[in-house]
Amino acid sequence: MIQPVSEFSPHAPWPLPQGVVDLFYQDAASKRALEGELRGCFRAWSYDELIPPSFEYADTLAAETGIQLAEEMYRFTDRDGRTLALRPDLTIPAARVAATRLYDQPMPLRLFYVGSVFRYEAPQAGRQREFTQAGIELIGAAAPAADAEVLALTVEALRAAGLVQFQLALGQMAFFHGLLAELDAPAPALHGLQGALDRKNPADLAAALDQLAVAGPLRQAISALPDLQGGPEVLARGRSICVNPAMAAALDRLAAIHELLLAYGVTDEISFDLGETRGMEYYTGITFKGYTPGLGFSICSGGRYDDLVGHFGRPQPAVGCALWVDRILLARQRQGWQPAPLRPEALWATGACPACLRLMLDLRRRGLRVELDTAGAGDLAQRAARRGAPHAVQCDGDAVTLTGAGQAQALTHEQLAETAATW
Amino acid sequence: MVDLAQRPAGGRADPNHLVVALPKGRLLEEARAGLEQAGYGLRDGDSGRQLVLPSAAPHVRYVLAKPADVPVYVEYGACDLGIAGLDVLREAQRDLLEPLLLPFGHCRLAVAGPIERADRPLRLEPNPRVATKFPRLTEAFFRQRGVSAEIIELSGSVELAPLVDLADLVVDLVQSGQTLAANGLAELRVILHSQAVLVANRAAWRLKAPAIGAFVASLRDLGSGRASGQSEA
Repeated sequence: MIQPVSEFSPHAPWPLPQGVVDLFYQDAASKRALEGELRGCFRAWSYDELIPPSFEYADTLAAETGIQLAEEMYRFTDRDGRTLALRPDLTIPAARVAATRLYDQPMPLRLFYVGSVFRYEAPQAGRQREFTQAGIELIGAAAPAADAEVLALTVEALRAAGLVQFQLALGQMAFFHGLLAELDAPAPALHGLQGALDRKNPADLAAALDQLAVAGPLRQAISALPDLQGGPEVLARGRSICVNPAMAAALDRLAAIHELLLAYGVTDEISFDLGETRGMEYYTGITFKGYTPGLGFSICSGGRYDDLVGHFGRPQPAVGCALWVDRILLARQRQGWQPAPLRPEALWATGACPACLRLMLDLRRRGLRVELDTAGAGDLAQRAARRGAPHAVQCDGDAVTLTGAGQAQALTHEQLAETAATW
Repeated sequence: MVDLAQRPAGGRADPNHLVVALPKGRLLEEARAGLEQAGYGLRDGDSGRQLVLPSAAPHVRYVLAKPADVPVYVEYGACDLGIAGLDVLREAQRDLLEPLLLPFGHCRLAVAGPIERADRPLRLEPNPRVATKFPRLTEAFFRQRGVSAEIIELSGSVELAPLVDLADLVVDLVQSGQTLAANGLAELRVILHSQAVLVANRAAWRLKAPAIGAFVASLRDLGSGRASGQSEA
């Protein structure tokens, strides 16, 4: 049995493994409220909820997730000896469902999810091993309008979450892949290059290009990537380093998306970064990450992944975004967001009084929090104050005493019902 | 005296306001000189013990931290920018942007051993005891060579370890090599060429882009260095 810890003892057992948290009271209520806000937002854009299982076959989940995510999965063995894993993200289950269960439904599919994901990772800034993601997947739509919808809905969801300010950095993997195609180098040889671009480290980038023996216009183009960030003028600057039609097409697509973002009125919240090349390896088109003041890490990430669904069945183009619910909660709190208080409307001391119990039930059905006082003896008003309840009701069978705002009134049950109707 | 109450609450931080982490110790004097030249010089307090200092530019403040802590302050976003040695950055493996190498703080992270050590490749060592302040880089260096080294992590004065037979080898920063020589040690291999790097928080990079851009541009004019973060084979 685990004893409550009152004094520090290095040998006391640890009640919880690293990387998981208990949430209660206000924190739990705030989290559920935020999830509710996000669900409402997603539903209003005509997305329907998907509730996938918490664990699946490890082979399924490891599909194209990128080496790192596969390494971070919690794995365990089924009784028949097959390896299972807790889901490390929710995009892969969504892709699996779309490809194997919903493949003959009218496209596009609009799915959303809210749930825990599990990653066994070394302690890092701002990360737990179980955390909540809320996300959307728009599957079976290839047009720039689908990309723009996901971006605009992400902005709307972050607004609905109550963040004071945020920025999405929008990249285009197709542009970067167009550049890489010119290099004709095997993937492992490109790790140094991608690391240098990811850190925007100019010296590492030069060294990586030396190692790959890249020269001329191609070298200039890759070296320019880290600086291709900012407003829509970035698209024009990107034109100047295009070395093949794939890159030009990638920019055309971004320009089309930008037109739509202008129409949605979300361009203040979105900036371009063509040097943003990291993230899951399954992205094939746009990719983006969101940031908000008060938090040093991203609060959402998303992008287009046209090759993932086909890995499980019928191929479908797809684009989506996942929001990190726990990080949004933390950022919102640091930005001064005030949660609605959790308190009962009334603390009510009564025995087997049908009138009281019926009135309490009526109030509860109206949505008020009414708490039965079970302590019996002692100062009811004091207990009500401690619970934050503005009203205390003491029933003595025939009549009641209502205490509120420091005043005690003797009332009949009928009078109490009239008063309570105004709460 | 810096009024800490002026510090904006994290969430409502003014996007023009920058907090920059500076490393106490080896790099600090050169960092100060560079920042002065760039127009962001430090304004000292009276005591010399203050950890938060204003600058010549009203919107920039400095935080003085232990060098190994600079990447932590910046990754968490407590500071928007920081100056750290590449050695510290590669050891810390924090998730940061490294937009600018600064033209000072040049040194190398090297393996050193007793001068009288027989001249043979490190990969022939069976199980060397290696004292260091850089356990991750040291382990990576030896394991890439298939050598199972026993890493002995120390907080300072690593050169002492071979003298008292705590370790066979050391991995430490070398500038001139005088400290090594004074303790009867010779440099054997370079693991990493290091220099000062300006690092940035990923969120601040987006949210405070104009202010950070101006800061980086002023420092870039100091001239860029040549070293890289690639490990030497």
